[in-house]
Amino acid sequence: MVLMGKISRGSKMDQIYIPKNREGLGIGEYVIVRGVLGGEVRSEGEEIKSRRPFFYGVEEKIEGIKMRIIGEIFRIVDESEGKYENVIITGSFLDRGFGFNDVDILLVGQGGGVEKIKKKIESGIGIKGHVILMGREELIKGVASDPLYLLMLSRFVARKRTSYNVKRKINYKLLDFYLLKSKVLLSGFDELNGNEKYYLTRNMVAINLFVRGAKIGVEEINSMIKKIFELGAIEKIKENMIDKKDFLKKYKKFYDETFELVMRGVGDGTK
Amino acid sequence: MGQNRNKLLGLFIGNISNAIIHKILERAIQIEEIARRYGKEIANSFDIARRYRKKINPLGRSFPEKDVEEIKERIIKNVKSELGVRIARGYKGISLDDVEEIVLKLSRTPE
Repeated sequence: MVLMGKISRGSKMDQIYIPKNREGLGIGEYVIVRGVLGGEVRSEGEEIKSRRPFFYGVEEKIEGIKMRIIGEIFRIVDESEGKYENVIITGSFLDRGFGFNDVDILLVGQGGGVEKIKKKIESGIGIKGHVILMGREELIKGVASDPLYLLMLSRFVARKRTSYNVKRKINYKLLDFYLLKSKVLLSGFDELNGNEKYYLTRNMVAINLFVRGAKIGVEEINSMIKKIFELGAIEKIKENMIDKKDFLKKYKKFYDETFELVMRGVGDGTK
Repeated sequence: MGQNRNKLLGLFIGNISNAIIHKILERAIQIEEIARRYGKEIANSFDIARRYRKKINPLGRSFPEKDVEEIKERIIKNVKSELGVRIARGYKGISLDDVEEIVLKLSRTPE
């Protein structure tokens, strides 16, 4: 692997800091330090080989095998026919452990070839890639108005340095539309699996936090869910180990409260 | 109608109603990319309704005409009631005129 670092001045010796989240190059290993041109790491043949990814909101160290998967996804996208402004890895793949079902990959730009990329990821890496293609402008709009986009970009690994800090724009009609999705749980409890129940609960809680102007992140949402349903661990929902009667009672109460918050906004004439 | 069949039918109707409400709200919001971005989520209610349908007799063929009429009526009632709550709260741009038409179209769609 190739990493890029900047030489900084030390008291007795100068040093280069490298990220803790890295694939290989363990403590005690010997490395060669070589200069780079124009900010891009180049081999002797002057071809761009790799850049280190950028981490946003990722607080825990990502496992080495996942870093290798991320590197491989970036390589597949780089070698695809589409031209992308950025590649973003997000979702449960970044959680500690290996409980993820697929990898959420957001391609920012106008390039095509999404299906080919999906297939290459599945056949080359052996995991399912949930690939979304979106223009930067559409993404910014989504982050400003959709709590789930905000959640998605509260923690991610990106190919290139980026920023999606935009001011929230509350469209209550849109939030009502998003919230309705969570109503499915009330009439479909028996037919939904644990992950689906978690997803619908998370959607409802994210909308509630969004309207109230609170911070939206995986930690914030999970902690709120645990509080509402008095759960010790979020896995109880994901593993479908919840008491139906008790859960539905609390769910309905919170859904109604959130619906009321949203309707108040709609009634105030806000768009 | 057995008690269990009634309950399953209620859940089936509830989920189809939800999908139709989504469709009407989508029209009311008038945001171009919404259908593209959220089409999958809207389909979720239909998917759950389909799962319930597979548990309700008669299996593998259409409901009897009497049931179809009752289901249509209950869906229309559900949808209008849910949208009515919004209209009463000052939600503008919802058209209840489309409800019957959408339900009718849906009842003619093969399962």
